[in-house]
Amino acid sequence: MTDLNIPGGQATPDIVADSTIGLMTMRGDSYPENALDLFGPVISWVQDFLSSTDIPFRIELELLYLNTSSIRAMMDIFDILEDAHGAGRQVAVIWYYHDDNQRVGELAEEFREDYTFLFDIVSR
Amino acid sequence: MTQSYDELQKRIETLLVDPANQDHPLADAVKELCRHLDEHMRRLERITMLSDSYQSMVLERETDLCNRFEHQLRRIGRIMRISDRYQGMLRDANLRLQEVSNLDPLTGVPNRRVLMTRLQEASQLAAEGDFSFVVGMLDIDHFKAINDHYGHQTGDRALVTVARSLCSDLRATDLCGRWGGEEFLLLLPNVSPADARTILERKLAAIRGLQIDTGHGKTLNLTMSAGLAEHDVDEAISSTINRADAALYLAKRQGRDQVAP
Repeated sequence: MTDLNIPGGQATPDIVADSTIGLMTMRGDSYPENALDLFGPVISWVQDFLSSTDIPFRIELELLYLNTSSIRAMMDIFDILEDAHGAGRQVAVIWYYHDDNQRVGELAEEFREDYTFLFDIVSR
Repeated sequence: MTQSYDELQKRIETLLVDPANQDHPLADAVKELCRHLDEHMRRLERITMLSDSYQSMVLERETDLCNRFEHQLRRIGRIMRISDRYQGMLRDANLRLQEVSNLDPLTGVPNRRVLMTRLQEASQLAAEGDFSFVVGMLDIDHFKAINDHYGHQTGDRALVTVARSLCSDLRATDLCGRWGGEEFLLLLPNVSPADARTILERKLAAIRGLQIDTGHGKTLNLTMSAGLAEHDVDEAISSTINRADAALYLAKRQGRDQVAP
């Protein structure tokens, strides 16, 4: 399957996905005017990857600001992971944030609340 | 009812196989009737079964919809909560930025940008009537000599100490900030030039009493000169500032450590 490489802009994060190692990373701010344009292909990629391979999947996040539609898109992705986890797939999310911005860590915790798969929040 | 129907069935069957009834004219018709009845009963059972399974399917779907609805409700709640927190984060970042862009980074007092904005506003208010203000321009005497003699660190310390002294003990409506370099500006609304002069003289006296740490276990004293100008409703704010500046240089020429005119 093809890999994803969406370079970030002023309002969008860098999104890179490598199917050979089962890793997706997102870095930056996300407040696009149309979140579906940005996250639609990302969500499809995650679905394709989970259904066409059986290697463990990990998402590493370093997101700072998210607008409401981006929050929703992230939840869509996490819901897909939760379903895969329920079906026995090995999935994980690691959310990195900087020490000097504790509130980003608190927000990541708010995201984590309902999920049962491995969801680490790491300050650095 | 089922029991009596079964009994009836048995009774009819017994009667039908009884050789005594073999040639009865009703025997064939009764046999036919029983077959029909049987078929109807089977059909009724099938309909009942289909109807029941359809009902349970609808019930299942309704439960599923309910669950999905609950799930979406929870999700919306979480999205709102997270979104609100992001918004709060942005708001605070905004306030911090505003603070940073309004305050002089060295002394922590309002910078020239804020002073200029407030001077424009004051001038606008004065033009609308019933409002006046005096601009005081203050400058540290021989500041270059302090820098040259004690170094920039001491110079910076002097600026911080002076800023703190000048900008404290003011009325809530007064504004004090760093105009640039070693120059400070006081915006004093609704005071007479005489009262403004008293305020500035009090400020200069306070400055005279300051002891600036030179970092070598010694302290140094300094003085400031001040010029004041009352805003004239007919003039541009730049003109008021220029007059305060001119007054400041008059104070310098007249021997420093004093208020002019």
